[in-house]
Amino acid sequence: MSADRSRILDLLAGGKITAEEAERLLDALAASASGAKEPAGSAIKGDPEPLIAALPKYLYVKVLAANGDNVNVKIPIVLVRSGLKLTSLIPPLAMDKINDTMAEHGMSVDFNNFKPEDIDELIAGLRETEVNVDAKNGDTVRVYCA
Amino acid sequence: MNVPPLVLDLRVVRPQRRPVRLWLPLFLLWPFALVLAVLALAVALVADGVLLALGRRYHHYTVLLVRSFATLGETRGMVIRFSNQETAVDMTVQ
Repeated sequence: MSADRSRILDLLAGGKITAEEAERLLDALAASASGAKEPAGSAIKGDPEPLIAALPKYLYVKVLAANGDNVNVKIPIVLVRSGLKLTSLIPPLAMDKINDTMAEHGMSVDFNNFKPEDIDELIAGLRETEVNVDAKNGDTVRVYCA
Repeated sequence: MNVPPLVLDLRVVRPQRRPVRLWLPLFLLWPFALVLAVLALAVALVADGVLLALGRRYHHYTVLLVRSFATLGETRGMVIRFSNQETAVDMTVQ
């Protein structure tokens, strides 16, 4: 197994990238290796480092209130994934309470339905999502990954 | 799993006052956290054993605990900043 391939699999095992991202990286690696007439180890053809580095690592939440209150949060995506995976282990009684409380606050998300594969998809989707809210009163909210 | 957070860097800036910067050495808490973790894991293991023997569907307290510690370990790199017209607070987990 090549060092690059091994590194990608390590990242997958460590939860740093999703299965989909690992597949894309491995495909890119295989494509560059098969299409490459250059010697192995070429920095551009075989090295997945730029591809890995290009993946967003943080989720940013920025709130700029018209009254001058600002909130800026930077969350590692591995933490988001780890937190979401934790939801599948929360005891059913506690989870029902969480779901009820969230529903009361207008967020009817049922975490009981979260499966590990859904979480990977969610994270992959999150990496490509950007939310921009400009409120009438001048408040702005931005959520994005970078 | 990443290296657990080592330091919490806290900065508070207020107008016309000296800025405050604190490095809270989280690594000093590790030995205490380890003792608590071992005790909690022992209790969770017993609880899971009892739940399993009783035939309950949920018996994952031990895994929940381990994953919770792993999640705490992933907090490294998190940054929280908030500011208003009077105060700016900057908190970084390193």
